Amino acid sequence: MGPVPRTSDGRPDLSGAWEPNAFQQNLNIAFGGVQVPFQAWAEKVFKDRLATNGRDDPEGHCMPPGVPRTETTPYPWRVIQTADRVIIIYEGGAHVWREIFTDGRGHDDNVEQTWLGDSIGKWDGDTLVVDTVGFNDRSWLDAAGHPHTDALHVIERYRRLDLGHMEIEITIDDPKAYTKSWTVKTHPQLLHGELMEYICQENNKDVEHLVGK
Amino acid sequence: MRRELIGIATACVGLWLGVLPLSAHHSFAAEFDQSKPVTLEGAVTKVEWFNPHVYIYIDVKDANGKAVNWALEGGPPNSLYRQGWRKDSVKIGDRITVTAYLAKDASSTASIRLVTTPDGRKVFAGTADDGGPKQ
Repeated sequence: MGPVPRTSDGRPDLSGAWEPNAFQQNLNIAFGGVQVPFQAWAEKVFKDRLATNGRDDPEGHCMPPGVPRTETTPYPWRVIQTADRVIIIYEGGAHVWREIFTDGRGHDDNVEQTWLGDSIGKWDGDTLVVDTVGFNDRSWLDAAGHPHTDALHVIERYRRLDLGHMEIEITIDDPKAYTKSWTVKTHPQLLHGELMEYICQENNKDVEHLVGK
Repeated sequence: MRRELIGIATACVGLWLGVLPLSAHHSFAAEFDQSKPVTLEGAVTKVEWFNPHVYIYIDVKDANGKAVNWALEGGPPNSLYRQGWRKDSVKIGDRITVTAYLAKDASSTASIRLVTTPDGRKVFAGTADDGGPKQ
């Protein structure tokens, strides 16, 4: 497959279009036996969402998937790595993007609460560690309905394994919803092709048929 | 009008090279019933090649011979395009047969899995890896 490409300063270059390999995680991010340390209220919300088959999933209404679901929806995304930031353009969701600042800044103390939050990145050896806070509480972590609150703090560790493979270790830290942080991994692959336009709102006829049970 | 599918049709998707598995932006089970497969045959009346899902509309004769227009939801056009589908892969007037799963709200809506095109190919056009049945 070829070695990890590197930038002129010797960092791994994560740039490229990546195809998620995480469809089961889109359905349930805890797929594969991950134990989720729910607080009681969060477990009830999750079970209620399961019981209605994810009827109210915001993504079904063409709202953005949030983080880390941006990496597990079935649409590819492109990483553009520059000296001071890593930009990720997502084909899916609602055509959203993230700017991950790698220029040494910290989080904005007055960060607005948004779907994708405020992301800063630091290199830990060959791993890009992305720390994101400042989320609203409107997205679900997956189609099954794992909830989160505005206290969500996500740590993603991006590691390009070779030319065509990446591993992302994702830690969910939300002290208002879970009793401790928990971690999953996902493995995107290099996309053979380009991103395409995807306007979810264009013809979303599902909403009127989403009855749940 | 609604015939239960006996057995599972054999997918013959070799002619169409898949790149990305298909999936939906919504829960399969919130909209469709995987215990209610159907086979529908009719003439294409309209094709909507738009995100987030392709829709193929066909007129299907009911038991009284009256045409009922069905809305058949396929995968996202981006995924279908990457799999080899094009906007004109089925055209208005084509007679096609589809295997699909009925909507839970009892409307004349179904989630497509396989389309048998006029030249006899069985082509996957649905939404895989969405929690619905595999084909």
